Amino acid sequence: MRRKVTVLLLIVLAVFSLTGLAAEKKLTVISGWSGPEMDAFMPVLREFEKETGIRVDYQIYRAEDLAVLLPAQFDSKTAPADVIFMWAWFVNRQAQSGHVLDMTGTLNESDFVVGALDAVKSGGKLWGAPYTGKIKPGFWYRKSFFKKHNLAVPNTWDEFVDLLARIKKIPGVRAPIASGNGVGWPLSDVTEHFIATFGGPAMTRDLIAGKIAWTDPKVRAVFENRLVPLLKAGYFSEPIEWTMAADLWWAGDYALYFMGSWITGMVKDPADLGVFTLPGARGLVFATDYAFVPAYTKYPADARRLLAHLATRGQTLQVAAGGHIATYTGAPLDAYPPVDREVASLLGGLEALPDLDDTIGGEWQPAFWDQLKLLWVSPARVGEVLETLQRKAGK
Amino acid sequence: MHALRGRALFFVPALALLAVFVVYPVVNTVWLSFFTSEGEFALLENYAEVLSQPEMFDPRGFARGFPYGALVHNVMWIVIHLPLTASLGLVLAVILREIRGGAVVKSIIFLGMVTPMVVGGVILRFLFDGNVGILPSLLSLVGLGRRTLTAYPDTALFSLIIGSLWLWTPFSMILYSAGLETIPDYVYEAAVIDGASATRAFFAITVPMLRPVTGVVITMTFLWVLKIFDIVYVATMGGPGGASNVLALQMYMYAFREFDANSAAVVATFLMLVALVVSIPTFRSVRGEQP
Repeated sequence: MRRKVTVLLLIVLAVFSLTGLAAEKKLTVISGWSGPEMDAFMPVLREFEKETGIRVDYQIYRAEDLAVLLPAQFDSKTAPADVIFMWAWFVNRQAQSGHVLDMTGTLNESDFVVGALDAVKSGGKLWGAPYTGKIKPGFWYRKSFFKKHNLAVPNTWDEFVDLLARIKKIPGVRAPIASGNGVGWPLSDVTEHFIATFGGPAMTRDLIAGKIAWTDPKVRAVFENRLVPLLKAGYFSEPIEWTMAADLWWAGDYALYFMGSWITGMVKDPADLGVFTLPGARGLVFATDYAFVPAYTKYPADARRLLAHLATRGQTLQVAAGGHIATYTGAPLDAYPPVDREVASLLGGLEALPDLDDTIGGEWQPAFWDQLKLLWVSPARVGEVLETLQRKAGK
Repeated sequence: MHALRGRALFFVPALALLAVFVVYPVVNTVWLSFFTSEGEFALLENYAEVLSQPEMFDPRGFARGFPYGALVHNVMWIVIHLPLTASLGLVLAVILREIRGGAVVKSIIFLGMVTPMVVGGVILRFLFDGNVGILPSLLSLVGLGRRTLTAYPDTALFSLIIGSLWLWTPFSMILYSAGLETIPDYVYEAAVIDGASATRAFFAITVPMLRPVTGVVITMTFLWVLKIFDIVYVATMGGPGGASNVLALQMYMYAFREFDANSAAVVATFLMLVALVVSIPTFRSVRGEQP
């Protein structure tokens, strides 16, 4: 009898340990999305769990924090997650050191919009996968605000400046344009829009490639003739924490807000949203999110499978939640909410440009953000700002 | 002798841990600082290169205004923050010793000390914010305009220095409070009999008798200010335009944005040397030696 009990106990223990082992197999995904953005992303992971039976945990880390954490982890041959969303320049740099799993052959390049994979390709290999992207289309406004104050969307530069002057005179408006500030990126977005509009898409690409200097007269002209006069005239607010700026703009303290397409998921009534580019814009920034699999994942095959899911089926699910534009061409148009279809239509006829500071990265990126914060409050120091940017770019 | 050897064995684990986690990283950091990022031995050339960068020292600032470079900014932190925290802590300790409920007030003030510096940095950011901050609101009441003080180069550094007082003053207050308890009452009683006023007693008895405590407060505050990072990182990220940059943040930028461990090691070694220069006299005085 005792022997039977012992055998039974051993069987139970074996079953439990096997179940335990099976349950222990889980993948971890890291990205910077939290709050409503995370809520919109979780169904993508849940779908993968349903399809494969593999548990997926989600952790939030900002890219700025990952830039500190990952190099040390990688040097000790460990990784905090199996799939990590990170800047493309960072993925490429880590790939050069052997810390990134080769994804060549995992994705079919023809399934994605042209050039979507380029940022994570080097040495003839693919090191990551594109997820959805966000357009940074221009200045958002509330249709109700424009209607109330009898304002119209400008078609020329003069009309744009005239619009700002008119808005400034509206009682209760602190400044025509709210200047969002995080670590500095919202200021870089609006600056990039000025560069792409008045310098043209070629200037954006040349600045990224280092083919043109920040102190070049053409670049200087964009700043000195277009951006700086608006700053000096007080048409931009001083930098305000970007989520707070969104609330103040929505409340009518500011009339315009330059922000990416994700703002459609942040406001109470997306139907009241309108957006316009700077008159004469020839290109728009289409910033793609990228993910990669560290070389130190315990489950390379499953991590690859998860990355492929994110890049394809996952994108279709994500765009349905709003605020995202797919790089996967298999995502049907009817998957988008109406407001995003409108945003996507802005790209028609304009060149899709990479995000300038995200593409250059490194030490230059925070320097760019920081120098723009200086420019916003001290526009007279534009020369010094451009010289600093050039010095940093040279490094 | 055998017993002594036996006791010495107990030190081995601690010494081993120190060797692995303190001595080796320190030696390796100093070693790294002598090499360029390309791996070439450069001795002090690396130091000259890093310390001559405008991020570290920018003489143009003396004509134009902020930024002056992280080195000068750290000096400003020391020159402004140190005397203020030390004197405020002493004054608070003396006043709160005399009044009823002083212990409760001290506990409340001490909350600043137990607040994580990162949280402190976030609070400072909002404290000085033009839209929601208390200080800009007060300034606007007296007609000085309402603006985000951390957003402007001429006020960012000063805002952080002044704002951080509530995070560190409790340290000096607690140390001085403990020091005050060691001064015998009869010394003050004798001063009263001799006709000394409270102010005279403060300067002739309290301040001189608290000199050892003042030494510790100055040293610890100096070291705290020297390695200041978290508040700056969270509140301004060293900006705008490097106007509130400090040495530790610059070290972080070299290490984790530029992935240039050698330049970061130069800044780290420099900070360590300055810290040693300040700390050694204190340790010597604690051991009863003259500095």
